[in-house]
Amino acid sequence: MLELLKDQFTFSVILALVIVGILNGAVAYCIYFERKISAWLQDRVGPNRVGPLGLLQPLADGGKFVLKEDIIPANVDKPLFLFAPFMALVLGFIGFAILPWGGSVDLDGDGVVDVIAQVADPGIGILYLLGIGGLAVYGVVLGGWANNNKYAYFAAMRATAQMLSYEIPMGLCILIVVLTAGQIRLEEIVLAQVGNGNIWNICLHPVAFIILLTTVFAETNRTPFDLAEAEQELIGGYHTEYGALKFGMFFLGEYAHMITGSGMVIVLFLGGWHLPWIPGLQPEDVSIGAMLLKMSVFGAKIAVFLFFFMWVRWTLPRFRFDQLMRLSWKGLMPISLALMCYTSVLVYAGKATSLAWCLGGELGVVFIVLAINAMRTAPITGRQRNMPAITVHKPAGAP
Amino acid sequence: MIEEKDIIIVDEPDLSTTEKLYLPQVVQGLRTTFKHLFKKNITVQYPEVKREQRVENYRGVHRLNRDEKDRVACVACFMCQTACPANCIHIVAGESPWEDREKYPVQFDLDELRCIYCGMCEEACPVDAIELTPEYDIVGRSREEMVFDKEKLLAVFERTKDVKPRKNPRITGYAGTGDREQSSGNTEGEG
Amino acid sequence: MTPWSLLVYGTFLLGGAAVYLLLPRTDRSTRTAGAILGIGALAAAMAICGRYFLDAGGLNAVFILSATVAIASAVMVITQVKPVYSALYFILLILAMVPLLLIQNAEFLAIALIIVYAGAILVTYMFVIMLSQQNAESVYDRRAREPFTAVFAGFFTMAIIAGQLAQLPAPRILQGTLVSSAAASPIQTEPEADNTEAIGETLLAQYLIGFELAGVLLLVAMIGAIALSRKRLPVVAHAIPAKPPGQIGREVPPY
Repeated sequence: MLELLKDQFTFSVILALVIVGILNGAVAYCIYFERKISAWLQDRVGPNRVGPLGLLQPLADGGKFVLKEDIIPANVDKPLFLFAPFMALVLGFIGFAILPWGGSVDLDGDGVVDVIAQVADPGIGILYLLGIGGLAVYGVVLGGWANNNKYAYFAAMRATAQMLSYEIPMGLCILIVVLTAGQIRLEEIVLAQVGNGNIWNICLHPVAFIILLTTVFAETNRTPFDLAEAEQELIGGYHTEYGALKFGMFFLGEYAHMITGSGMVIVLFLGGWHLPWIPGLQPEDVSIGAMLLKMSVFGAKIAVFLFFFMWVRWTLPRFRFDQLMRLSWKGLMPISLALMCYTSVLVYAGKATSLAWCLGGELGVVFIVLAINAMRTAPITGRQRNMPAITVHKPAGAP
Repeated sequence: MIEEKDIIIVDEPDLSTTEKLYLPQVVQGLRTTFKHLFKKNITVQYPEVKREQRVENYRGVHRLNRDEKDRVACVACFMCQTACPANCIHIVAGESPWEDREKYPVQFDLDELRCIYCGMCEEACPVDAIELTPEYDIVGRSREEMVFDKEKLLAVFERTKDVKPRKNPRITGYAGTGDREQSSGNTEGEG
Repeated sequence: MTPWSLLVYGTFLLGGAAVYLLLPRTDRSTRTAGAILGIGALAAAMAICGRYFLDAGGLNAVFILSATVAIASAVMVITQVKPVYSALYFILLILAMVPLLLIQNAEFLAIALIIVYAGAILVTYMFVIMLSQQNAESVYDRRAREPFTAVFAGFFTMAIIAGQLAQLPAPRILQGTLVSSAAASPIQTEPEADNTEAIGETLLAQYLIGFELAGVLLLVAMIGAIALSRKRLPVVAHAIPAKPPGQIGREVPPY
């Protein structure tokens, strides 16, 4: 059995099965915690009727999704209508393949590393996640288009424009990390952070971390960037016409996407499975026990991020569409571009891992942005001054 | 049509430099909601725990009152049916078997689904026979079931008479005039 | 004219006829005949590829599958009536080309194809197509304009190129292109560096100036496009001072 596992391919297949199994459950419980956390933040109780503490609620929800009538409206584009939810779900899940869950593993204890606890470790590394992110928009776009519903169609439009805009700062922030680590494989990026005196990338590039986090929110269509499913304006957005299991697939796909996104942020900026100074979580710990420990640390970090996603969702209001675009193109993109240029200069000068230089640069960039903003008269939000002017009359009694 | 001169265009406020970063406001908001994470829940676990009745004249399900002799207090005068803005009351009147009144409701149907719980019937009733009770949790499995007939409305009275006793005494002036007394007596004899 | 080149040219003749029949037309539908011919042409094409594999000592199922899907979806791109379906088949074409690049160890090109084409360009196409027409197809989508000329030009060119390639001895084509396993072709060796790394070295060390110039050219083109498409509006509001704080509205003269 152990000999069989020492083959990387067999190990990967088993790991993939285990991870997809666990994460399917995790995604279902994400919905439960979403409801619970929204309730707690609003001084309510949340689901508490099904099972102790309502813990069986995901099963009940799943049963409901399966048993409800599966309506296919008239005049929809049927093949695409049926295909879109699969697209959303599958593209949400295949990102897991590349996350480094537990570092290198020595299965039989002979001091030789046998396998790595990662389903696949392609040479393109992080670019794989970018590719998946680029494809993920098709679930929303096809769903919105095939519906033959004007609201869903608007949602598809919004989602397309939004994802295109936010992929650019996202890619730039990923490049900053890749430049710092000099590596493109996720496992090597984690090791580079450990090798850098236990300084995670978040300490070196806090601004890039915030920008990446923002773009992950946008890419996963979460509040405050959930314009594609803005209930108040677009009913339900792209899933207006979907019901039963097809709606459930969109739902699960969104949470799977969140897990992939937070996994990416954790690997890039928060040291992946690593915690400094704790034995068992260092690169040289390669036993099976250490692997399980590393996996649980990674999972715990993802859980913290998921909580943050939900916390933000129930705190912040939605952006307006022009604000959204302006934030990306006029805010995030120049900042991340400037940071990337600065980082490449640092790499050239050999100072890419120096805390003082990196933080100084980040502060400098933020300061310059603030200065430019302070000098500009046009506000970031609101009507731009070169828009057609509007005649303003005031009634007699107005203040 | 809104006159153009009545339109005021309000510009969005110019944001200060820190506000343009959004982050301080975001952190502030997150702090506020995080505090609520530990606050006491205000939820009432409804079917087990019920909230106290907060207003005395809550307008819930209707009831048909009984008088002291356990008869239907209604005299089938059609006042409530006329007053009802939702047209949800349907009365069939019959000759009263008792001598102090002419008519009584043979049938009294009230569609609880059509009703808008405005209380006009209660206002209109000259003998305070129909009243709205504090009871609000009525359920049914069909629309027909939610059309309450006389028995059901009287049963509501039995359920709620301890919570909300029939306040006003029966208006007695009606039976006081001699002619009417006689005629009511006649009808009784015929019945 | 050897039987071998007859097979190659015959395949293209068959393919051309299939595409000609498959192209949308308003008067009568010849799609079934076209589909049957197309399947025949695909089978013939795969048989031609199969010869090279048999020379090299084995069939490559991944190649056969993705090449078939790629060719079929490429035909679907031009024969679809609905533009949205055309764009979607284009995406399928790109996804089918990814395994072809992967079996040649060109991981970076594969993922770059996905990111650039499927992730960015095709999304923009979809955006435009969805904006322009939603349900009713227009005449120019329902009827191919010059089906014979177009098919003839395309397939004639392809047949000439393929016919010349087919004259070459098999191993020359095999070198590092069709078969990935090192055992199959003695010339091919395991790549020393990572493919991604190698491309990075080539682009950013060997051909740095050309690479940067191409980047600058694209940037200039982008800025030029923005400058050309920007609507010039008279900036009137600048001249009007904003009201002091506390007062509602900003008075702007009629535009």
